Amino acid sequence: MRHSTCLASDRFDPALELSTFLGQLSDEGGIVSFVGVARPTTRGGSPVERLFLDHHPRLTGRSLEEVAGAAGDRFDVSALRVVHRFGEVAPGEAIVFVAAASAHRRAAFEAADYVMDRLKTDAVFWKREDAVDGSHWIEPTDSDRAERARWSE
Amino acid sequence: MKILFFGRLGDMVGRETHVEVPPETRTVADLRQLLAQLHPAASEDLSRPSLRACVNDLIVGENYVVADSETVEFFPPLSGG
Repeated sequence: MRHSTCLASDRFDPALELSTFLGQLSDEGGIVSFVGVARPTTRGGSPVERLFLDHHPRLTGRSLEEVAGAAGDRFDVSALRVVHRFGEVAPGEAIVFVAAASAHRRAAFEAADYVMDRLKTDAVFWKREDAVDGSHWIEPTDSDRAERARWSE
Repeated sequence: MKILFFGRLGDMVGRETHVEVPPETRTVADLRQLLAQLHPAASEDLSRPSLRACVNDLIVGENYVVADSETVEFFPPLSGG
């Protein structure tokens, strides 16, 4: 399984990521991609000025590699790509991109789903939402932990 | 001893701080108490069980004995994706 990860300091184009990923494939029959985008409002409805993703100089990149590698070990996928922003992210910009390719669709769907659930709780980032009415640090919700636990068995 | 704080604690205390560690401060748990005294505004965050300590890029437990030459990093709960 080929996988590559990128810790991105600047905005990236998810469409370009997907087209590059597709260009590297050969005979896969199923390709799944996911894009996570910074929301323009908080859960309470206040406009968000920016997200700030704090990260660790070594462990963040390593955690992306670990999650991508684990997905490759677990699912029958032939290629996987993970891109994750750090630093300041404006509303509407992509935070995360995941693409998975496999001979048949199921493994690609599952691998992308698995990577996203793991990133929410295991990737080494700390996310702060700066809204017009103040800033707050986001922590994994019970629902994030439950999604992550689906893959524990 | 060099201490690094990430996430919310980084905002509250600053990314990097240096502390003089008295001889009775031996473990991560002791260090948390010392830091909580030095930074009362962050004492609640410093005592949360979900806050983890990291030395040499590995998560360590509360009983880990820290050497003065080591850098201890404190990680609040992670939130990526």
